[in-house]
Amino acid sequence: MSFLLRRLSFYFTAFLIAISFNFMLPRMMPGDPIDALFAAAQGKMDPAQMDAVREMYGFVDGNVFEQYLSYMQSVFTLDLGPSVLMFPIDVTTVVGMSLPWTMFLALGSLIVALILGVTIGTYSSYRREGFFGQFVPPFLAFISNFPYIVTALLLFYFFGLQLELLPLAYTYDPAIDPGFTLEFIGSVAKHAVLPMGSMILVGIATWVFNMRNAMINVLGEDYVTMAEAKGLSSFRVMYRYAGRNAILPVATAIAMAIGFSFAGSIMTEVVFNYQGLGNILLKGIMARDYPLIQAILLILVSAVLTANFVADLLYVWLDPRISK
Amino acid sequence: MNNSITSDANAPVPGHKSEFKKKCHSAWIKTKAFFHGNPPAIIGVSLMTVILLGALFAPVLTTHNPEKRVARPHVAPNAEHVLGSTRNGRDVYSQVLHGARKSLTVALFAGIIAMTIAIAVGVTSGYLGGKIDEWMNFVTNVFLVFPQLPLLIVLAAFLGQVGSMVITVLLGVTSWPWGARVIRSQTMAIRNKEFIISAEVMGESKIRIILVEILPNLISIVFGGFLGTVIYAMGAEAGLGILGLGDATEVSWGSMLYWAQVSSSLYTGAWWEMLVPAIALALTGGALALINMSIDQVSNPKLKTGPHMKLWKKMNRETMKRRGLL
Repeated sequence: MSFLLRRLSFYFTAFLIAISFNFMLPRMMPGDPIDALFAAAQGKMDPAQMDAVREMYGFVDGNVFEQYLSYMQSVFTLDLGPSVLMFPIDVTTVVGMSLPWTMFLALGSLIVALILGVTIGTYSSYRREGFFGQFVPPFLAFISNFPYIVTALLLFYFFGLQLELLPLAYTYDPAIDPGFTLEFIGSVAKHAVLPMGSMILVGIATWVFNMRNAMINVLGEDYVTMAEAKGLSSFRVMYRYAGRNAILPVATAIAMAIGFSFAGSIMTEVVFNYQGLGNILLKGIMARDYPLIQAILLILVSAVLTANFVADLLYVWLDPRISK
Repeated sequence: MNNSITSDANAPVPGHKSEFKKKCHSAWIKTKAFFHGNPPAIIGVSLMTVILLGALFAPVLTTHNPEKRVARPHVAPNAEHVLGSTRNGRDVYSQVLHGARKSLTVALFAGIIAMTIAIAVGVTSGYLGGKIDEWMNFVTNVFLVFPQLPLLIVLAAFLGQVGSMVITVLLGVTSWPWGARVIRSQTMAIRNKEFIISAEVMGESKIRIILVEILPNLISIVFGGFLGTVIYAMGAEAGLGILGLGDATEVSWGSMLYWAQVSSSLYTGAWWEMLVPAIALALTGGALALINMSIDQVSNPKLKTGPHMKLWKKMNRETMKRRGLL
């Protein structure tokens, strides 16, 4: 239990650091921060509204400390003011609409890549001298190290534009009403195939190699030889004896992969015009909508920290020794 | 005075030349062993050599100025323009070679900056331990859980369109934590080995122990981390480029992607403008990954694939036979 408490306090500290960074960012930039913040808002907001946003960002009268407290308050009450780009909609609403899609892409592709990668890694280490073990890992290393954006572009071009197999934009067919219907779920799945596929391609090699390296160490252990000598099926030896122990060091890599996956989702969404945070972020950048950009960074950090905590829970479940 | 004495002691002695020859010879043997029966290493190194040579000799290998309008918009690949032209009438072939210089420079220097920080933080905290380690580890972990690329995007967005120098530095200072963590754990693993303890007992200074005793044992990890960072930095540069956050007036693979995106070249059928830089990025990333994988296998021979495995199996069988087990 104390392990989880320690992790929780660590994530909370990290979140505070992220808020402080966000607070400092407009103040570190050259020129007047308020001008930069509102350069794009000229003419769109009336002075009273601009004052409200200003206060939300902590640009109140008083010293830096008071400003900081004021900013903290607006962050923790989720009052991030209106977006300049989509005025007068709240930043919180805009982000809230697109966050689920990014979570879906980032975490979905991470989980699929993890399961596929661990399976392939296990098998390729167990059959190291066969064709599979010799050919598949180097091939995946090659394919998987294309930059996110490049894999996305190549899939977009060949499967979307040339073969016209799969849709090229949006999270679901705009003609379909969102709801818990088969048609809607089918449409979401169809739209997710390419973006998610490209992210899985990029993510998979990490798991293949982590698992393979861990497996190769474990396969030399006596209890594996013993299990083989007992005449257990190779499936059982592979997954229940060796794999169960090799997965521990692999699980520690999940924490880092979560951040990468969210970053990849941002890039992929831009290519596939997928209506997630990445797309909103791009629009925000082009419109110089700084409140929106900062809110997206904050929400991404919280999403990644939360996902990390879930990974910690998973780790405790895999290796109960750690919570003692 | 002191200097001359030491230099005398190091002066060439008879047989020095053959020593040098021997060293060369052993290096050659090692290189041969690295490539022998290791197709991924051969493919990776030769691809990378071609790419580096192309970038290095870009001015000789191209006839068109990459920044000048030299053709009509979106000319399909032909004899004059081998890889076609962009929407703005730039020659794609000469752009991709010149762009390689910028993109690879950004990636290489970002890798160097990141690994320098990673070594400094990782070795110091791993070797010294105690309070320093606690603090450094905390900072590393905080950086590690933050999504680096979004952070980078936001920084670049606030700075406006930034040049490649700024991107290099930003990439370098945001991508060190992973390397630092690996180097720290490896340092902790060798900190209590006999050779370190004997160096401490002999009274070597901490700096000397870190530089002379510990660092040489980390070379393969450092190099692996360096290649990983280079791959990441190259992708990030391209990503920032396509988002329009890089300097679009410079010729790099990122800015090529940006202009291809702006002119929606894929939709208008001018695939070469988008796919050429994309494939260049893909091949470079893949080649570096293959090299990285081969280096991993050198530092940990257990991980080997390829014909080595067959040889190992054969030898294993022979041993078993000799022992009468088969």
